[in-house]
Amino acid sequence: MNKDASWHAVCLLLLFCLSAPSTFGPEPQADIQTVAKDDMVIEIKAVAGLQFDAVRFVVLPGAHVTLRLNNVDDMSHNLLITAPGSREAVVRASLDMGASGPGQDYAPNLPEVLWSLPLLEPGASAFITFTAPEQEGVYPYVCTVPGHGSVMYGAMYVTNEALPPLAEDPNVPPRQAAASNTAAAPHPYPYQPPTVQRTFMPDASPAAVATWLTDDLSYCWDAGRSMLRYAWRGGFIENAAHWQGKGEEIAQVVGSVFYRNEAGFPLRIGSPDHVPDARFHGYRLHEGIPTYHYRIDGVDVFERITARPEGDGLIRTFEIDGLEESLWFATSKTDGVTYQASAGTWINGMLQLGPAQARRFTVTMINQEPALP
Amino acid sequence: MRIRLQIFSVCLLLAGCASRQPEADPPYYTVETIDLPEGLTAETGGLDFMPDGRLVACFNRGEVMIYDPETGQWELFAHGLHDPLGVKAVDNNEVLVMQRPELTRLVDEDGDGRADLYETVTDQFGLSGNYHEFAYGPAIGPDGSLFIGLNAASSNAGVWDELRGEYNPLGHTVGMFSAVPYRGWILKVNSDGSVEPWASGFRSPNGLGFDNEGNLFATDNQGDWVGTSKLFHIRKDQFYGHPASLVWESGFDVNPLSLPLPVLDKMRSRAAVLFPQGDLADSPTEPVVDNTGGRFGPFAGQLFVGEMGRARIMRVMLEEVDDAYQGAVVSFLDSTGLRLGNNRLVFGPDGSLWVGQTERKNGWIGSEGIQRIVWNGGTPIEVQSMNLTPTGFELLFTRPVDPDSAREMSAYRFTRYYYAYHAQYGSEQMDRQPVPVTNVELSPNRRRVSISLSRLVPGYIYELEICGVKAADGSPLEHNRLFYTLSRLKS
Repeated sequence: MNKDASWHAVCLLLLFCLSAPSTFGPEPQADIQTVAKDDMVIEIKAVAGLQFDAVRFVVLPGAHVTLRLNNVDDMSHNLLITAPGSREAVVRASLDMGASGPGQDYAPNLPEVLWSLPLLEPGASAFITFTAPEQEGVYPYVCTVPGHGSVMYGAMYVTNEALPPLAEDPNVPPRQAAASNTAAAPHPYPYQPPTVQRTFMPDASPAAVATWLTDDLSYCWDAGRSMLRYAWRGGFIENAAHWQGKGEEIAQVVGSVFYRNEAGFPLRIGSPDHVPDARFHGYRLHEGIPTYHYRIDGVDVFERITARPEGDGLIRTFEIDGLEESLWFATSKTDGVTYQASAGTWINGMLQLGPAQARRFTVTMINQEPALP
Repeated sequence: MRIRLQIFSVCLLLAGCASRQPEADPPYYTVETIDLPEGLTAETGGLDFMPDGRLVACFNRGEVMIYDPETGQWELFAHGLHDPLGVKAVDNNEVLVMQRPELTRLVDEDGDGRADLYETVTDQFGLSGNYHEFAYGPAIGPDGSLFIGLNAASSNAGVWDELRGEYNPLGHTVGMFSAVPYRGWILKVNSDGSVEPWASGFRSPNGLGFDNEGNLFATDNQGDWVGTSKLFHIRKDQFYGHPASLVWESGFDVNPLSLPLPVLDKMRSRAAVLFPQGDLADSPTEPVVDNTGGRFGPFAGQLFVGEMGRARIMRVMLEEVDDAYQGAVVSFLDSTGLRLGNNRLVFGPDGSLWVGQTERKNGWIGSEGIQRIVWNGGTPIEVQSMNLTPTGFELLFTRPVDPDSAREMSAYRFTRYYYAYHAQYGSEQMDRQPVPVTNVELSPNRRRVSISLSRLVPGYIYELEICGVKAADGSPLEHNRLFYTLSRLKS
């Protein structure tokens, strides 16, 4: 991929990520209508509940398309793009493959199967590149794992025209079309940053707090461990699945995680190795942003996490009064950020502060530039 | 005689027993639907009234909102909570909310109508990540003490790799389980945020409430070890039957399911009232005492209990027998505009009963919204109380009854049965059999009917169907099926 193409890819992915909050609703989905003349990158996730997160996307006739399937579900999925009107026939043919199906990725050897992505295990991803047909039309895509094909599908629109409203689109699964009708605000208040939502979050204890700082920047605080767990760029969370049913589904991060705590509980008292007992006491909202209160070995800590004005990181402001020994702040070389501190001394990746310095200090965490291809 | 009686019973079964049609309820009670703000998914987790008369409610997606009945306006008070399933007003600017991970105090400190402080009152219990670990309450006792209830975890899901609290594999039993501290318990919350394990043996105690005498009651839902749904009188250190929670008794170091069934059966405290599954209730919710002093009709001091699976509110009539509560339950309101999913109940300052509904889309049978039930005055003809006697039961009617219909022995049709205590999900009605009536007497004021039965056996539900009894003015009985849980006899 040349530099221009990769720039396109970043742009499209970013647009895709940013579009997610506006389509926030009971069903996870994204409605990709972004078009570009030449190279197009489409990313689709196979998500829980037998569905693709994007139920349709548009490409221009003859465009060079890179389609990536990322399987974030807990079962295997594939993706086949079929000729217009051939989805059901392809699904039937895949069922007829019987015992030979898994070995052939459930991709029947039919001319109606135009392109296919293989059977992907949970967590796996793959991509294909192809040239979109010159013939305008609706080209279905579908997972043909037995039992999935009747509900897990979507539509690739090859067109120069606008799409029909999602709610009226007969080419997407009815439940996802219906979901778009109620996909407006999920709350009776403006759903915008800054805001807080406690929910089940990935890679945290079951007592998590998701906080949306700016359109682009969010983080996960773990109230079970009184610490910041990770931060991401690109949006907030998709929590609709958790709010439905009995609540077994957990929230999905919208965007890309750029920081992940790998140092454990970051604050140490007296020595770099002494991890104090931490107990969570809640938070106070100032202008919508929480200041967390917790106690470490009985000492009160107030921690407020805000967005760096440059938009590329977090500023953590600590207020810790009543320490009698040094405070240490632990980091990891591989946690994805570079650090700046308002006080103290860095020693082997740990910030050491005296009790007076600990009364108020900031640690700034800056998203490291992603490596160039 | 016996043969004739049985034939008569069969006829009644076939013909059904004349009772007032549900649609005829509105003369005495009206159901009103509260308008809700745009954008709210009104899956109601909690309701309470603030001292100034405003309603505070919490909802599945984390909102706490305040409704002013005077103006009909809703205001957002707090947001972003995780699965809040209970709210209690402390003051006009402070509420307690039970959310999945903690009991939280929400305080509007700057007086702008929005909570600023989200203070953890207690999070001293475990979370395994299992979706079924709901948290209920708080119920506030007469002395201000707080009680919360913790759901056991579902056998349909596991636990996360990362938990909050100690993992105890002995509690990760077959069926609903208690792998982290105090799942399946009711806890007392101390003022320092520590918790006192109060009572164990619960499966899904979605409803805690105090009566006017300071007794704590909680419902539990049918399932494994719970043959049919129940209302328990909660006392300290008692075990109420679902075994998994026993692992958090101090010193308990075996798999609770390894205890022989007769041992568990002997350990458990019996329910005050059973709700026959399918016949009366599928999923009873919050008990709330009529503290209106008569502004809600003739049932002051009694408990009302919501029901998720039906458009129904139930009424409970309790009495103390040998220092334990037992009694009867009857439907109070059916349909008449009431929706499904009646999850939370609270009496308003005006004496009306406010009902919050929920469903959790695709999760449970139910609906969304808030309604209130208003008494229109007048006395419905109902059984006001049902009390055990040494030989049978005494019914007190709300109004004098027509003596001819009320003196008829065949008007009182008793059936008894029990529900098995076992690990299986639910129970059939066991040993179901009719109980012949041997005598009926009507008091001079025509409000009390004493019924003698051929036999009273503790451990059974005595279901009574009343047929043909009318008020003196000819009005038919509003609700004619009562279910008395007979645990102890009166001598």
